[in-house]
Amino acid sequence: MTLTAQDLLFYILGGLSLASALGVLLMTNPIYSALCLALTMVSLAGLYASMQAWFVAGVQLIVYAGAVMVLFVMVLMLFDLKSEVKAFSRGAVAGFMKLVAVGLMTGAFLAAIYNSADTLLGTSLAANVDGTASTKALAQMLFGKYVFAFEAMGVLLLIIAIGAVALSRIEGGTHADE
Amino acid sequence: MPMSNLVDVGLSHYLALSAALFAIGMLGVLMRRNVIVMMMSIELMLNAVNLTFVAFSRFRDNMDGQAMVFFVMTVAAAEAAVGLALAVTIFKRFREVNIRYFEHLKG
Repeated sequence: MTLTAQDLLFYILGGLSLASALGVLLMTNPIYSALCLALTMVSLAGLYASMQAWFVAGVQLIVYAGAVMVLFVMVLMLFDLKSEVKAFSRGAVAGFMKLVAVGLMTGAFLAAIYNSADTLLGTSLAANVDGTASTKALAQMLFGKYVFAFEAMGVLLLIIAIGAVALSRIEGGTHADE
Repeated sequence: MPMSNLVDVGLSHYLALSAALFAIGMLGVLMRRNVIVMMMSIELMLNAVNLTFVAFSRFRDNMDGQAMVFFVMTVAAAEAAVGLALAVTIFKRFREVNIRYFEHLKG
């Protein structure tokens, strides 16, 4: 059992993604939360690359770390939000219950993963794949097996674009007639 | 857990990391009051799910998981666009994006 480069990469990138995810949760200034989220996206892209999902890693960088994060940061700058005084929801009891709920859920996940470790580890690891070949296989799958889902995604994006424009054109926000 | 399990990174490690990321995202949705930070936490949860898809795809030698990642990404981008448009319309009225203003939404 030696520590290979990929194992080391997993621990570095995984630790980075966990730390920056905690940053999203704990930073009271929303801009810092957004920057932490961008760091999480980039480290996840690194994890995808270390799992030889090259195309997914590239799309993660372009779509998430690029487009979606730019959208978030632009809206935040539009609002000119300062560091929030009350960033977290009120109520000690409710907060405790939320922590317990999330802890129970995570415990259930981890127990399921730990108990199924034998069956999971028995599976075969794919051989080192050629990036071009795997991307070609992915494209053939997207435009063959999943072509209807792919077209449905196109329709969804069109509806979303129209909906976002319609929402932002409402005069005086969502409460105009009060 | 013996030491060799910690060194020999396998599918379980990726799944555990994904579970931890999902839990942090869920805590963000539950605990924060700013709508935009809540949406960032939702993105975090979707990313955790994507990590599971890619890990299963890698360790079971099956490309279907990577195709699913694209659909999750598309839906996440759509959700961000509509959510941010809603946040902008809320902000126009209240000058703040606190989640409690969403209870007076009307069409």
